[in-house]
Amino acid sequence: MRKRRNWFASLLNVVIFIGLEMTALQLISANAPLQRTWIAKGAHYFMAKIWGGSASVENYFSLAQENETLSRENAALMKELLSAREMLRAVHTDTLSMGNWSGFSAIPAEVVKISRNGQHNYLILNKGSEDGVQEKSGIITRDGVVGIVDAVGAHYAYAFSFRNNDISISARLGREGGSGLLVWDGKSTNGALIKEVPLQYKYNPGDTVYTSGHSLLFPPDIPLGLAGDAHVINGATNEIDVTLFQEFSSIRYVTVVHNNSFDEIQQLVQ
Amino acid sequence: MRRPLFWFIYLLLVIVQLLLTNYLRVSPYLMISILPMMVLCISIRVGTVWTMLIAFATGFVVDLLSEGLLGLNVAALVPVAFFRNGIIRLVFGTELFARDEDFSVQRNGFGKTALAILIAQALFLLIYVWIDSAGMRPLSFDALRFAVSLVASMLVSLLTLGLLAPDPRR
Repeated sequence: MRKRRNWFASLLNVVIFIGLEMTALQLISANAPLQRTWIAKGAHYFMAKIWGGSASVENYFSLAQENETLSRENAALMKELLSAREMLRAVHTDTLSMGNWSGFSAIPAEVVKISRNGQHNYLILNKGSEDGVQEKSGIITRDGVVGIVDAVGAHYAYAFSFRNNDISISARLGREGGSGLLVWDGKSTNGALIKEVPLQYKYNPGDTVYTSGHSLLFPPDIPLGLAGDAHVINGATNEIDVTLFQEFSSIRYVTVVHNNSFDEIQQLVQ
Repeated sequence: MRRPLFWFIYLLLVIVQLLLTNYLRVSPYLMISILPMMVLCISIRVGTVWTMLIAFATGFVVDLLSEGLLGLNVAALVPVAFFRNGIIRLVFGTELFARDEDFSVQRNGFGKTALAILIAQALFLLIYVWIDSAGMRPLSFDALRFAVSLVASMLVSLLTLGLLAPDPRR
């Protein structure tokens, strides 16, 4: 009983002490602007510490709810991203049918099967003749050339991958440089060679390699890769190493481009 | 037990403190206060709450009638009253409380009494100088002011101590 009374007396002392000190500080604040600012600063710091500490504790215990909210937001953002990707692909398609690529039609497609480990690699696309895909069409992405459509079904298309010993593409060194045939080097995942570049055409290692536009399959000026070292072949032409931009292991969405004048030009050639 | 004239002398010393505060302005480093000694000398029969209220009133009167900051002496003196029993217990032991006696130089010795006043003065001046400075003056100034004022206040407090805590045998 006595202990409890002592405890109560101590508590009362502390409460009255705090009350009197607060009153004294209030008196000082009311009469001295300098001290008022100083006391207010101290009070704000103290309150920030108190509220900051309590907020940290509260945040810790509400983490589960926070995670759930973030997960929902993540799903919503992913949905928006996919929708934006679809829109971008549609815009890309429109763009392809304009400007330098006039005369080419473009159809977005998705790669449903791809072989990577052989010398004669291929791709299967999820678009076929019913979608407007035709044989002898080029397949490209924003990173370069992927392959050439060889056979078309109603809903699917079969294409030779660029990583194929039988495929060559007409390419040019820089915007104005010499042209040659770009082929897969047969070894690495992103290595290629430009063959038959005349010796008089100068270039610098690191120059960008583009599609030349001389081919009927691909529009001009699609960036393909970066030029590397050159080797003189038979003293007549250069063979230049190229590092491709295209990463074949991660291809998913592609665009099938077809030259609308392909048949007419082929007839003229024959 | 304090003598019957204690509160009268206490009031007289408040007037002395007012005179010291208003007329003894030798240096910005010097501030003499005997208020902590006065609060320390209040009888231990007066409880902490009452001691704090007396300290509040004393500080308020001094602040009101002097040219300093209103509330500054109050803010510095109330903690002395709050910790008064603790200081007495720390310096003189619990015997005084057990015997219900007040301290005096003759009974408890000069050293212990001076030490108790020193602690009370230091506590008072620490708060006083800190609030008065409001973080605007350099630490060296505050430290020097604290030291000079502590020495001067101790001397004056020891000189006037006999008035509030006289020899009980007389």
